[in-house]
Amino acid sequence: MIKTVVFICGLVVMSFEILGSRVLAPNFGGSVFVWGSLISVFLAGLSAGYYLGGKFADINPSSRKLSLMIIAAGVLLLSFPIYSAPVSDWIFTKDLGVRLSPLLASLVLFLIPSVFLGIVSPYTAKLMICSLHTSGKTIGTLYALSTFGSIIGTLLTSFYLITIAGVNALIIGQGVLLIVSAIPLFFMGLSCSRENV
Amino acid sequence: MIRTILLIVFCFIVLPAKVSALEPTEKLIFEKNSLYQYISVIEDTVKGERYVRNRKREYAQGGIYVNAPDKLLFEFTQMGFISLAFLDREPKDVLFVGLGAGAMPRYFNRHYPEANIDIAEIDPDMLAVAQKYFYLKENEMMKVHIEDGRLFVKRSKKKYDWIILDAYQNDYIPFHLTTLEFLKEVKGRLKDDGVIVTNITSPFRNKFFDSMIMTYKKAFPHIYIFKGRKSGNFIFVATAGRKAKDRNEIESMAARIQSSKKVDIDLSGIAARFELSTDYEWERAKILTDDFAPVNLYQHQKSGAQ
Repeated sequence: MIKTVVFICGLVVMSFEILGSRVLAPNFGGSVFVWGSLISVFLAGLSAGYYLGGKFADINPSSRKLSLMIIAAGVLLLSFPIYSAPVSDWIFTKDLGVRLSPLLASLVLFLIPSVFLGIVSPYTAKLMICSLHTSGKTIGTLYALSTFGSIIGTLLTSFYLITIAGVNALIIGQGVLLIVSAIPLFFMGLSCSRENV
Repeated sequence: MIRTILLIVFCFIVLPAKVSALEPTEKLIFEKNSLYQYISVIEDTVKGERYVRNRKREYAQGGIYVNAPDKLLFEFTQMGFISLAFLDREPKDVLFVGLGAGAMPRYFNRHYPEANIDIAEIDPDMLAVAQKYFYLKENEMMKVHIEDGRLFVKRSKKKYDWIILDAYQNDYIPFHLTTLEFLKEVKGRLKDDGVIVTNITSPFRNKFFDSMIMTYKKAFPHIYIFKGRKSGNFIFVATAGRKAKDRNEIESMAARIQSSKKVDIDLSGIAARFELSTDYEWERAKILTDDFAPVNLYQHQKSGAQ
């Protein structure tokens, strides 16, 4: 169960990144600066998320807290269509140049969701190790699942999803997927008691 | 074991050579991986033609006759000029979105030396290639702006009589230059009664073509189509003015331009291919928007219209 959630989070990260290029193009074009901004912001978000995830995992980790963090990312995606256009339009009118404009837009739109999604893998790893007493193999499995999810997310979105629905509908869909998959986690009751830490 | 190694060696030596091979009469005179694309300049020594391509054997983005660089080589570049017959006046301000080899703006600049020409091109290396191999020279009246076409249109405060949309990457138009929102932005940069012309490649009738027709129809009151004979190109002409044009008007205007401007393309012949967009409309085709624009996938799907 918890592994499926890690897979889904990996899937959503990359799918969201692919759609991100579509979100940015109307205001910032399809230049190499747009791609550079987008990719670096997602990586920055994920690395911050990994760091924070590891840190939080040392303070009474529980599946309930994990579920809340995934739901937070889900809510951000769910409401994405409401704020993305005004934010992009506003940054466009500020005209900060061909590099800074898409970089700023990417930071505002994509950094926080990718931080939340980055938290998932290390947090889950700690949770599984200390509550289910699994071994180091767990960490490898989780990272593999997360990255495998990302591959599926990338291919599915660019090969298929883009033809069947609009960008905004797809991002809302991702938000729903995150929330739905996080709800069972909330009631799973996994935690690490003091003896296990 | 040895067999396997030999097979691998064989693949490395023979296959790349075979894949990248040009036609026997073609020679590669320049190639570069730019920020956006693979650019190659290839010359056909028998035909005496020079092309710029994104892949060695695929569609050319533009080209010239080596011995007559002032003539227009490709049919779609010649056909594009038919849209001038939809203007009631000589164009003073003109915008090209997408440079290619620069054959169209160069030709236009020579025949209309008094018109101001802006060209938006995203790739600085494409400009360098057009200058070095295709005789493009910027001048007082003709300037190239290195910028994404959509951004140039959004940022521009100028109004144009004539806008030419011909920005391609390989064989497709970047999605953000196909959408209804983009076309509305372009329309916002047109003077009253201004004209837009677009080159759409559709070697077979595909879904992208269907969607383009319906998207243009949504953005503009009148759309006219000119179909390529030698190529899978369609020229869309869209007018911002309320009054529709008919074939006779366009044919006589084309003849007038041909004689007064001494252009060496058969404008009257092209005018005779005049068609209304109604012949191509397929109501169920989806309109492309910033939210929904599966350009690449639609290009490979057959048209729904029969």
